[in-house]
Amino acid sequence: MVVTGRAVLLALAATAAVALSGLLGAAVTAIALGLLAVLLVADVLLAASPKALGLSREGETSLRLGESATVRVTVANPTRRPLRATVRDAWPPSSHAAPRSQRLRVPAGERRRVSTTLTPTRRGDARAAGVTVRSVGPLGLAGRQRTLPAPWTVRTLPPFHSRRHLPGKLSRLRELEGQHTAMVRGQGSEFDSLRDYVPGDDVRSIDWRATARGEGVVVRTWRPERDRRVLIVLDTGRTSAGRVGDTPRLDHAMDAALLLAALAGRAGDRVDFMAYDRRLRAQVRASGRGSQVGRIVEAMAPLEAELVESDPAGLVSTVLGTQGRARRLVVLLTDLNAAALEEGLLPKLPALTSRHLLLVAAVRDPAVDRMAAERGGADALYRAAAAERTLGERRRVTAELRRMGVEVVDADPEHIAPALADAYISLKAQGRL
Amino acid sequence: MTAATAPAPPRAPEPDRAPPSGSPALRVWRSVRVPAALLTALVVVSVLLSLGTERFPTGRLEPESVSPDGTRALVNVLEQDRDVHVVRGSAEAEEALDRAGDGAVLVVFLDYRLLPGELDSLAARDTDTVLVQPSIRSLEAFAPGVEVTGREEPRLFLDLEAPREAECGLAAAEAAGSAHMSGELYTAPPGTDAVGCYPGGDGDALVRVRDGEATTTVLGTGRPLTNTALDAAGNAALALNLLAADDVVWLRPDPPAQEAGASVWELLPLGLRWSLVPLAATLVLLAVWRGRRLGALVPEALPVVVRASETTEGRAGLYQSRKARDRAAAALRAGFLERTAPRLGLAADAAPDAVVTAVAQRTGDDPAHLRALFYPGRPDPYAADDDALVRLADELDERVRRLR
Repeated sequence: MVVTGRAVLLALAATAAVALSGLLGAAVTAIALGLLAVLLVADVLLAASPKALGLSREGETSLRLGESATVRVTVANPTRRPLRATVRDAWPPSSHAAPRSQRLRVPAGERRRVSTTLTPTRRGDARAAGVTVRSVGPLGLAGRQRTLPAPWTVRTLPPFHSRRHLPGKLSRLRELEGQHTAMVRGQGSEFDSLRDYVPGDDVRSIDWRATARGEGVVVRTWRPERDRRVLIVLDTGRTSAGRVGDTPRLDHAMDAALLLAALAGRAGDRVDFMAYDRRLRAQVRASGRGSQVGRIVEAMAPLEAELVESDPAGLVSTVLGTQGRARRLVVLLTDLNAAALEEGLLPKLPALTSRHLLLVAAVRDPAVDRMAAERGGADALYRAAAAERTLGERRRVTAELRRMGVEVVDADPEHIAPALADAYISLKAQGRL
Repeated sequence: MTAATAPAPPRAPEPDRAPPSGSPALRVWRSVRVPAALLTALVVVSVLLSLGTERFPTGRLEPESVSPDGTRALVNVLEQDRDVHVVRGSAEAEEALDRAGDGAVLVVFLDYRLLPGELDSLAARDTDTVLVQPSIRSLEAFAPGVEVTGREEPRLFLDLEAPREAECGLAAAEAAGSAHMSGELYTAPPGTDAVGCYPGGDGDALVRVRDGEATTTVLGTGRPLTNTALDAAGNAALALNLLAADDVVWLRPDPPAQEAGASVWELLPLGLRWSLVPLAATLVLLAVWRGRRLGALVPEALPVVVRASETTEGRAGLYQSRKARDRAAAALRAGFLERTAPRLGLAADAAPDAVVTAVAQRTGDDPAHLRALFYPGRPDPYAADDDALVRLADELDERVRRLR
């Protein structure tokens, strides 16, 4: 049961009437209150029952972070009374559903649609909390309210800001393949085909045997290896929860992983993905060639950093165990945290690096670099010294990893995605995949 | 970013706090027991404290007051060999006098708080009465004919009040000798058997009139009876002599209770009074209107996110609070050397001599100074105080500039 502002105004009018009634006070009070009660009860009884309404939903089910999605609710009124209602489609606060509530009139036996726009500010799944209908009677004094279930889930995908780097990196990749418009010879290591010499080709690539057989000069073309396997591993342990700038490390890592996945997919490699902390949190296996980006984005959407120490032993055995025997490029997106890596990952590395090529990519915190440059007074120097110490540990871990044959990419949040892509391209150019 | 140095055991960490267990009642009890215990302790302590401190009434000639102008001392002395009844109203006084029978003395102070009828009723009794600074109405009732004829301020001698001699034939006053009797002065009509003592310019500060069996003694001041003055001059003797009886009824009336008049409520029109009922209904409706939510709040689990630089900031705070200059200096040097060595074509772990020589060649500095700067002995001169640390940072920055 609900009352409206109109009911309050009516009660206020009754109060005024009683105040002016003089000696008839008692009688007027009884009449006014009785009338008020009768009107309120009648309005409640005459309101269309919200329980009888039929709700159905339609609309978008996924969007990228930063975009808006519209979800519609169709309200069917099978009763014989017209529905005059305020409707609220409730979503979690971070979904920023708008409008918060809206007025709706549904004549008896008809149906109407209300739409709500979601602009989520967080990645992940947002579940509708239910549709609240406040049905008011014909006098507009009072009514009934009920929250009806109308399940719907909208998945907010990672924003993939680094997509803007994709064209540039793809053109570098095409340069490698010799398909670039500049007609530069491919630099890969896999024999591709023979073709006629054109001025400008490197004379060292002339295939003399084929030239002798035919009439013109023939050159060999090379192309990078294709159908290599790339496994992107996202560390979702405690070090990923750290906020660098305004975004957790995990989200920066996702951005870089998506660019790499898109790039490798275009380059003809097979991209697998997994997220791991103490257990497997998400996994995408390549199904044939082609881009896995859509599936990886879907798998990433609900991931959040867990406040647990990652388990490198489990990670290594998962990588080695479940994923075939072929050599692959394992890209581990984590933090170059001396404590976490030295205790955990380094002892397990030989098992991994003996069979696969490991690339560790980490987001570097510009705040620490700024701290290291602080000067002016002893307090600033203590901060600078602490930052130098952090940076020194990071350098030490990086050097240790490189000594063990691991590629390391350590870059600012702005540059981590292109830096990782460049590392991949250069590995590919060197034929090390 | 917790426990940066904690080892990473392969098993899942145990949760720090056990989840709330037990029945809901047990959980409620656990959550309220500490506040409840504190509240109980507070109540007990305040009750104990309030038991310890006794609140004495205050006021002039108040028989229970221990303040300078109270008369508790006199009452205590009197109570050693006679009964003292402290009463607060005329009815109580009459009752006490009835119980005491003959040989009682009535002391009245602040008699203006009594109604004329009550004064007359008390005056009609056949009882010895001591009036202290009586009102004119009271004088008429108890000692007809005696009038207030003047007032004399206390004579001060070196800031001390000088006592006055009795100078009369009243045995009680004469035996007591001098007393602090300065105040209202009274004159009895000539021809009566009234006795006046402690004479002043315009009358006597003590007048006793006889009315049949009973006497009425009028005191122009209560000063000799008070706690401060009781032990001075003949005050105590005078008081005890005046109150020489088996029972002393000490009447110090409370202010008469306020008679209830017509309140504002009764003066309001009937309609306005009745309008409170619909007004209450209006407020209830208002509360329901504003208070009813359009659906429940939607909860959302938010991920825990901390600044990634938190551990570094924490270490900085630690250095700062412990003034760890040696560690700070070592970190600054290590950062400088690790950045500089690759630029000079040296390995990161190059020997000190090689680094010093290379830097000296590029910057032209004295190698001995550079060695002291980069590889100090113990104790480190650059960690002596904050200024030395600042100097170290300045010198390192200077080398960075010159090597650029």
